[in-house]
Amino acid sequence: MNHSALKRKDLYWLALVGLVALVPLFPAIAANTFLMHVFILILLYASMAQAWNIIGGYGGQTSFGHAVFFGIGAYGAGMAVVTYGLSPWPGALIGMLTAAVVAVLISYPCFKMLSGHYFAIATFAIVEIFNRVFLVWYWVGGALGLDYMIVEEGLANLMWYDSKTGYFYCALVLFVLIFGIVRFLESHRFGYYLRAVREGQETAESLGVNSTAVKLAAMALSAALAALCGAFFVQYNLRVDPGMVMSLDMSMKFVLVTILGGAGTLAGPLLGAAVLVPLQEYTRALWGGLGGGVDLIIFGFLIIIIVVRQPAGITGIVRDIAKRFGRRPAAEKGGASLGTT
Amino acid sequence: MALLEVQDVTKKFGELVANDRVSFTVDAGEIVGLIGPNGAGKTTLFNCVSGLYPVTAGRIFFDGKEITGLPSYRIARMGAVRTFQVVRPLKDMTVFDNVLVGAFMHGAGSAQARQTAETCIRVCGLSEFADRPSGDLPIGVKKRLELARALATRPKLLMLDEVMAGLTSTEVKTALELIRTIRKEGVTLLIVEHIMEAIMPIADKVVVLDGGIKLAEGPPDQISHDERVITAYLGEKFSRRMQARKEDRANA
Repeated sequence: MNHSALKRKDLYWLALVGLVALVPLFPAIAANTFLMHVFILILLYASMAQAWNIIGGYGGQTSFGHAVFFGIGAYGAGMAVVTYGLSPWPGALIGMLTAAVVAVLISYPCFKMLSGHYFAIATFAIVEIFNRVFLVWYWVGGALGLDYMIVEEGLANLMWYDSKTGYFYCALVLFVLIFGIVRFLESHRFGYYLRAVREGQETAESLGVNSTAVKLAAMALSAALAALCGAFFVQYNLRVDPGMVMSLDMSMKFVLVTILGGAGTLAGPLLGAAVLVPLQEYTRALWGGLGGGVDLIIFGFLIIIIVVRQPAGITGIVRDIAKRFGRRPAAEKGGASLGTT
Repeated sequence: MALLEVQDVTKKFGELVANDRVSFTVDAGEIVGLIGPNGAGKTTLFNCVSGLYPVTAGRIFFDGKEITGLPSYRIARMGAVRTFQVVRPLKDMTVFDNVLVGAFMHGAGSAQARQTAETCIRVCGLSEFADRPSGDLPIGVKKRLELARALATRPKLLMLDEVMAGLTSTEVKTALELIRTIRKEGVTLLIVEHIMEAIMPIADKVVVLDGGIKLAEGPPDQISHDERVITAYLGEKFSRRMQARKEDRANA
C-alpha cells in the first residue's frame, strides 16, 4: 500500500541527519559559539517536543507537567555529579525511571476515572507542587540548586568546556534516538493504538484496545524521554535550580513547540523547534534587557497567527504549499461524487 | 452449547428500565436478528453485551465463559466484536489505518496485520477509499468501514448495530450479500436491524424486543405470524406483504 512512500520519507530523514552531522565540520559555524548554541538548542527542543508528542500529539492527552519529568531527569544527572561525585549517566537513568513512575502515578487516576480535561489540570498542578517541594528540599539543593564543580571533560562525564562540538553530537544522538523511537512506534501496533485511543476511546476499546494501558505506557515513555532531555540540559548548563527546569514556562515550551510545528506528526516537533528556538535565542540576545518573557510574548503571537491560519501547525502549512504546487492533485478532487459505490 | 447466552439481563438508567430480564441465546454459525421499534432497548442490550455498559442484573456468557462486567476490550479480544449504530470512524486516520487497528488484535506483526486489513478492505469494497481520511466519507462507506474494521479482528461473534440503516436499497443489497459472505466464513452474527425486509430473509432466528421486554424469539416465519409481534411492532400491513410474497413464491 503506502510502504514505499514511508521508506522514501525515512531516507529524507537520514539525509537530514547526515547533513546536520556535518555542521560542526564547517569551521565558520563551529567557531561561532552562539550559532552552535542555537543548533544544540534546536536539537534539544525538538527532542523534548517529540517526547511530549508521544502522549500529547499521538495520544491526544495534553500534559502541562512535562517540566516535572524534565526536571527529575535534570536533577538525577545533577545530583549524581554534584552530590555523589559520580558520572551523570546512572543519574540520568534513575531520573528516567523516576519520571516514568511519577508520570504513571499522576496519570493513572486521571485515565481511569476522569475525562480529558482533568488530566491537563492535574499535570498543571504537579508543576507547582514539585517546584515548591524542590525549593525547600535540602537533599536536592533547595532554592540554590546544584552548581557543578570542575571535572574531567569527555563523554564519560558528559561535559565539555572549550568547545560545543561534543554537546552538539550528544544532542544529535538524543534527537536521533527520540525521533527514531517515535518513528518506530508510528508504524507499529502501539502507535496505531495510541492514535485510535485519541480518535475515539470507545471505538478503540471495541476493537480490543486497552486504552488505559496504552495511555499509561505512552505517558511513561514520554516522561522518561523528557527526563533524558533534562539530563542533557543540566549537563549543558552545568547548573540546575527548580526555576530553571520545573516551571510552567518550561512546560509550555514542550507544548508550544509541538503544537506550533504540528502535534501528532513526526516532523512537527523539529519544525516547531527550528522556528521557535532561533526566535527565542535571538530575541533574548537582542532584547534581553527588556526583561524576561519577551520570547514568550513572541511565541504567543506566532501561535495565534498559526492557529488561525492553519491549526495543523507548520506541518499543515508545508502540506498546503506542497498541495498548491500540485504534487498530489488527484487525491483532492471529486469528494462528493464518491457516494454512489 | 450456545456461543452467546444472555440470562435475565436488566439495565436501568435511574428509574428507566431499558432492558427488563431479557434472555436469549445465539448458537454458533447462526445469524440472529434483534428487532423492535424505536426505544425498544436494542442498542442498550448491545452495549451491555459488548461491555460498554455495566448490567444492572443478569449474566452474560460468551464461548462458555462469563463476560458480565468485563471491560469491552477484553470481550472484544475474546472474539465478540461490535459495530456502532452511529458510525465512529477514527477521523484523522485513513480507512486503511482504521481497519489496521482492528487487524492488530490478533497480529502484533505489522506485515500480517496489514495483510488482514487489506483483505477486509477488499471484501467490504473499500479498496478505492483505502488511503482517504475516514472522517470525510459518505455514510454508506462509513458503515462499510465499521464492518471492515470489526471484521479485521477476526471475530467469532460479530454484532452489527444497524449497519443497513440510512443506506440506499442498492447498498442494502450489497450489505446483505456481504453478511452472507461473512457467515460463510464461519462467523456468527447478531444483527440489530430496523429494516425488516433486510433482516427477515437472512436470519435463522429473530428476537423481538418491545419496551425493554423480550416479546418473542423464533424463526423469522414464525415471528412474522406471531400475533403479539404483529400488533406491537410490524403492523398488519407488513405481515400481509410477507404473506403475499410467500404466495408469489409458491405460485412461481
